[in-house]
Amino acid sequence: MTSATLIRACRDFNPGRRFASLGGLALLVVLIAVMPLLYVVYNSLQLSTDQWFQLWGSRLPELLWNTLSLAALVAIGCVLLGVSSAWWIARRDFPGRRLATWLMILPLTVPTYVFAHIYTTLLEAEGWLGRLWLGLFGDTATLPDLYNIWGVTLILSLAGFSYVFLLARTALSQSTQSLEEAARIQGARSAEVFWRINLPLLRPALAAGLAVVVLHVLSDFGAVSMLRFQTFTLSIYLQMSGRFDYQAAAGLALILVLLSLTFLVLERFFRSRQRYYSTRQGRQQPLRQATRLETGLIWLWLGVITLLAFGLPLAWMLSWSWQAWSQELINHEFWGYTANSLLVAVIAASLAVIAAFPVAFYNARKRSTGSQALLQFSSVGFVLPGPVIALGILSLLLAQLPFLYGGLAALLIAVVIRFLPLAVQAQDAAMAQLTPSLEQAGRSLGAGPLENLWRIVLPMIRNGLATAWVLVFIDTLKELPATLILRPTGFDTLPVRIWIEASEEMLELAAPAALMLVIGTLPVLWIMMRSHGNDVGSRPT
Amino acid sequence: MKRLLISSLLGLTALISATPPSVAGDSLVIYSGRSDKFVKPVIADFTRQTGIEVTLHNGDSTALLNKLRIEGGRTEADLFLSNDAGNLQQGSDWGLFRPIDGPLLTPIAKNYRAADNTWVGLSARARVLVVNTQGPWADSLDSIFDLADPALRGKLGITNSTNGSYIAGVTVVMLAAGADKTRQWLQGMKDNVDGKVFNKHSKLVSAVASGKLQAGLVNHYYIYRHLDAHPDAPIRMVMPDQGQGEMGIAWNVAGIAITGHSRKAALAEKLVAFLISEAGQRQFAEVNLEYPTRTGVAASGQLPPAGSFRVADVPMSALSTQRDVTLDLIEQVGMP
Repeated sequence: MTSATLIRACRDFNPGRRFASLGGLALLVVLIAVMPLLYVVYNSLQLSTDQWFQLWGSRLPELLWNTLSLAALVAIGCVLLGVSSAWWIARRDFPGRRLATWLMILPLTVPTYVFAHIYTTLLEAEGWLGRLWLGLFGDTATLPDLYNIWGVTLILSLAGFSYVFLLARTALSQSTQSLEEAARIQGARSAEVFWRINLPLLRPALAAGLAVVVLHVLSDFGAVSMLRFQTFTLSIYLQMSGRFDYQAAAGLALILVLLSLTFLVLERFFRSRQRYYSTRQGRQQPLRQATRLETGLIWLWLGVITLLAFGLPLAWMLSWSWQAWSQELINHEFWGYTANSLLVAVIAASLAVIAAFPVAFYNARKRSTGSQALLQFSSVGFVLPGPVIALGILSLLLAQLPFLYGGLAALLIAVVIRFLPLAVQAQDAAMAQLTPSLEQAGRSLGAGPLENLWRIVLPMIRNGLATAWVLVFIDTLKELPATLILRPTGFDTLPVRIWIEASEEMLELAAPAALMLVIGTLPVLWIMMRSHGNDVGSRPT
Repeated sequence: MKRLLISSLLGLTALISATPPSVAGDSLVIYSGRSDKFVKPVIADFTRQTGIEVTLHNGDSTALLNKLRIEGGRTEADLFLSNDAGNLQQGSDWGLFRPIDGPLLTPIAKNYRAADNTWVGLSARARVLVVNTQGPWADSLDSIFDLADPALRGKLGITNSTNGSYIAGVTVVMLAAGADKTRQWLQGMKDNVDGKVFNKHSKLVSAVASGKLQAGLVNHYYIYRHLDAHPDAPIRMVMPDQGQGEMGIAWNVAGIAITGHSRKAALAEKLVAFLISEAGQRQFAEVNLEYPTRTGVAASGQLPPAGSFRVADVPMSALSTQRDVTLDLIEQVGMP
């Protein structure tokens, strides 16, 4: 069924059609992106029926249950944290509103495995939270345990709610007032307005935010491996590393991909049935000044979120980094890891933005089943667990393109394939506002297609390009599993060092690397927030 | 903007296609599955004495072995260092290593190296009990099978079942005591820990020292390292199953192999020779508190001397061949 869609996609590219070359480029990008998937399919075809039955009998039901319930719980957690904070920031003016926006997106800079590591350390008997807990409930009290679904949910919600926040905030601050006013005039009460006007309007943004969160959960390796919670991704990794059983791993990976693609298609279906146009004529929602009580409540709520999602981790990083600094452990090697990380992240983000462009632009132009299918298939890398992509790329490169092996190429290809969907989604969203009339105007004034691209299209989607670049940059900077396997010999990045030092319990060495990830992400987050500046800093009118 | 884009594209292409320059002069690459801190001091000594630079490419032993296997002739690794004999033997079985010059290895006892000399053990460790000396179990535990005693419920510490030392230890028990007895033993320990296991041996030892737990199953050196840092900690090591007719302790080694595709086999052999020399072996004994594999080099004075205790009669090669059977057993019981 999947191949049928691909064939249909290919049929759209017969030469001579208007967008043939663009479509060809898009197809090429998608073909490269699905390479690891083809490899996984090939490997899982080697499994006999008996082995499939064995997989099904022994592990699948538990893995399915664990993975799906975790995804659902994290989705709920992210909506609770993300929408509540977005609502206040989008709808009320209060002192420190701009700061609050920043505080809600800063958790994006902390990788899930760092969250997991920090919270397990803090909750030990001699950790900060552990001591607090024992002080409150007595020395014999049992400390809360994170090695279960609730612990993983907590960690992944704290690490992921910012995606929901970002999209919900934009949707809430852009929704026009007229609908709400109309509802009120008809006699609707606040709760009713929320359920019947705001929530439906929020739905596309929520769906997009949750899609990103759920895909992150499905492919998360760091937190689940540190907290030993058996999801598909962890089980796949253990099959590959513990038993050297790549075929069983491929079988599991294939099921995970089918699961994720189902989810993606459902999400898109759900979104495509709802299109809400906001007309520029509609009045922008004015910001209501928060009352003093409201300000207090808002900051209490945002404060709790910030403390858990960023304050405590940052304090932990600073305190251990200080130890490292005073022991003079921050040496040239450390700066080398930092440089390596930045190098990979900058190149990968740039490549991903370039590669995503034809896919998104082709879809913006055609809006056909074929172009939609290409868009879907470009997402495949995101749902394949990092270790699976890494081994797939490794084997393919060595078998087909051995001259590319040995440098950064293997790592870059894997990372770009992994995070391409972030770039495609962001550009796709930005291109939704491209109206054909503008380009037609350009044409009638004598501009060729390329000049149109440079002078009209690219400037118009600049924000989308910036967002795409930043999202890929951030995720690449935090990338662990593929980097562990594919990095050139002796080429350690910050996440790799965090992983090594944390597994040796050298906290004073893991902390500065984690802190460096935060610091390295700040400037690009600033760029992204500035490009969305019109609503970040919007003042009451 | 156009020019900027084009020039940055060109720059990117150049960067990507450039492979890192191979280090001039004498240098070696090790795929290392051991913690940096156990290896770096010895390697630094080697570089100081010989001028040969060594790059440690760190990672999980099994993942690195997989990488080595997939890379084949394209690998840059000259040596493979692992903390588990099972991995080393697996690599030998796959034909990834080349035999090390025989006479070089004569000071190393036969059970500490591959039959065909494709890998050699550098340091050995024992799977032992750590016991709290102030608790009710201070003197009553002398067998690993005691750990399945329901009376220990909530008082036992074990590591999670993906730990390499743990898996190797279960393999030894399985071969020495039989699958049925091992299954009962695992089931009993599983009930006793009630789903709570440790990621780290060191944390397990701390928990026993604090009195929160009474006993645990660990590698011997974690106990002595804890005692080095906290001399008054109320813990002691128990060598289990030492009585007449009992199985003895489970034994495992960390070791090294030279890759089959290394173009610097002679240099690599130099490093191996250094690591198994008396000086190198003394470092493993003193810095890591492990048992040297070279005959005639004594373990640290705090440890019971090698030979003073009974070791289970299971060849190291079994740690590889029986690994899958062990994992099946662990999964059947559902060890956390």
